[in-house]
Amino acid sequence: MKVLMKPIEMIAWFTKNKKPIPLRYRIVDENNMYRVIKVDRVLFVEEEKLAGNRMIVYRCESKINNLRRIYELKYEIDSCRWFLYKF
Amino acid sequence: MQNRIIFHIDVNSAYLSWEAVYRLQHGEKIDLRKIPSVVGGDERKRHGIVLAKSIPAKEYGIVTGESLYSARQKCPNLTIVPPNYERYLKASNSMLSLLNEYSPLIQRFSIDEVFMDCSHLEDNFLKIAYEIKERIKEELGFTVNIGISTNKLLAKMASDFKKPDKVHTLFPEEIEEKMWPLPVGKLFMIGVKTQKKLNNRGIYTIGQLAKLDREYIYAWLKKPGLLIWKYANGIENSEVKNTSYAVKSIGNSTTTSYDVDNKKEAYMFLLAISEMVGMRARDLNLSGRVVSVSLKDNDFFSYSHQKKLNTATNSTKTIYETSKKLFNEMWNKKPIRRFNITLSELSSNEFCQLSLLEDYDEKEEKLNRAIDKIRYKYGYNSIIRSCFLHSGIKPVIGGVMEEEYPMMSSII
Repeated sequence: MKVLMKPIEMIAWFTKNKKPIPLRYRIVDENNMYRVIKVDRVLFVEEEKLAGNRMIVYRCESKINNLRRIYELKYEIDSCRWFLYKF
Repeated sequence: MQNRIIFHIDVNSAYLSWEAVYRLQHGEKIDLRKIPSVVGGDERKRHGIVLAKSIPAKEYGIVTGESLYSARQKCPNLTIVPPNYERYLKASNSMLSLLNEYSPLIQRFSIDEVFMDCSHLEDNFLKIAYEIKERIKEELGFTVNIGISTNKLLAKMASDFKKPDKVHTLFPEEIEEKMWPLPVGKLFMIGVKTQKKLNNRGIYTIGQLAKLDREYIYAWLKKPGLLIWKYANGIENSEVKNTSYAVKSIGNSTTTSYDVDNKKEAYMFLLAISEMVGMRARDLNLSGRVVSVSLKDNDFFSYSHQKKLNTATNSTKTIYETSKKLFNEMWNKKPIRRFNITLSELSSNEFCQLSLLEDYDEKEEKLNRAIDKIRYKYGYNSIIRSCFLHSGIKPVIGGVMEEEYPMMSSII
């Protein structure tokens, strides 16, 4: 996996007591087109607070171009932004 | 007092490390700490100096405080990144909350330095020191130096020994071996000028200073001389002050978006700033006796006026009323572009001398507290004074960053 840290648009499910769960997101691809990707499975969730900046890291799995891909998403708590972290 | 164990925790090239970690977290591939890089102010605003440097930058002879221009001449491929104080405060706070797990007695000496009383750890202190160092590296991503001794001064001297990512001890019995051979300028409180003075009389190391006759140094440099002589001998016994860093004044200012030429609007700006100043003072549990107002007119000419009150205050109303009075006394009717209110001669709220001649309004204090609570919870604009309605003027003005930000102090 390569570090991308690309901001993405996200639809997430904010639960009562667990951390928000990413459901599907939209990304602008190389051809400047929107692509919607559904998060099929969250493999694990981790919280980091490097330099005091809290972020939730999700390792996820999705079917992209009929291939199962594993990648990581990041949610920055202070700014409420989602990123495609590693792909 | 005899068996105190004091830790001094010092973040290695703080601003730069924090900036580096933040950037790595956001996907940057280069670690600023590994290349010649500095955190520097904005040159256009004439803030163009080196605030922090990486260790590779240090090898080029770049020193903190020099201009970016001269730094770039020393190292042409220097990477310069702008500072972000909010980020650094966040990093510093996260370190503090981690340290809080180990001791309740913590003194924040500056944004990147902390004293911690660890006497309760007894013989375990070294193990815990390493644990803290590793945890900070692991969880927060930056490295620290930890100095350990029986007082704050020695602990601080110890953390400065070898960097980065080290634990050092400097107990009284180690002074001769570890501290005395160091150049005298390394001692806390000795700046360039004092160093010159000492060097002129043949004192080059801390040991030489320590061995001077007490009377001699007192006759020569008076009280400050005695202080550095004590420090050179490792004598210092102040407590780890749990209260936050010493704030000397609380002030806020604003540059208005248009020039203010009438009293009514000027009063509103003063009120909005008073709200912030009062709120900050109350938050720090401090009161001040001197209120000063300074104005800058549209020709960039600044003037100010101050007044000493009979009793210390942190009430928005008193600050506002006093500023209004000061404003009336000095305003020359020229349009104003900048307002500033500063509260100084601060004292703790714990003991407060009331005045016989002035009313003490308990109700007002309660009201202020209630308003503060609401504002902290729901935002500054959640409850406002009606005069600000539809006025276009913000009801609470002033950023808190500048001064709430713990700066280095010379009082250990």
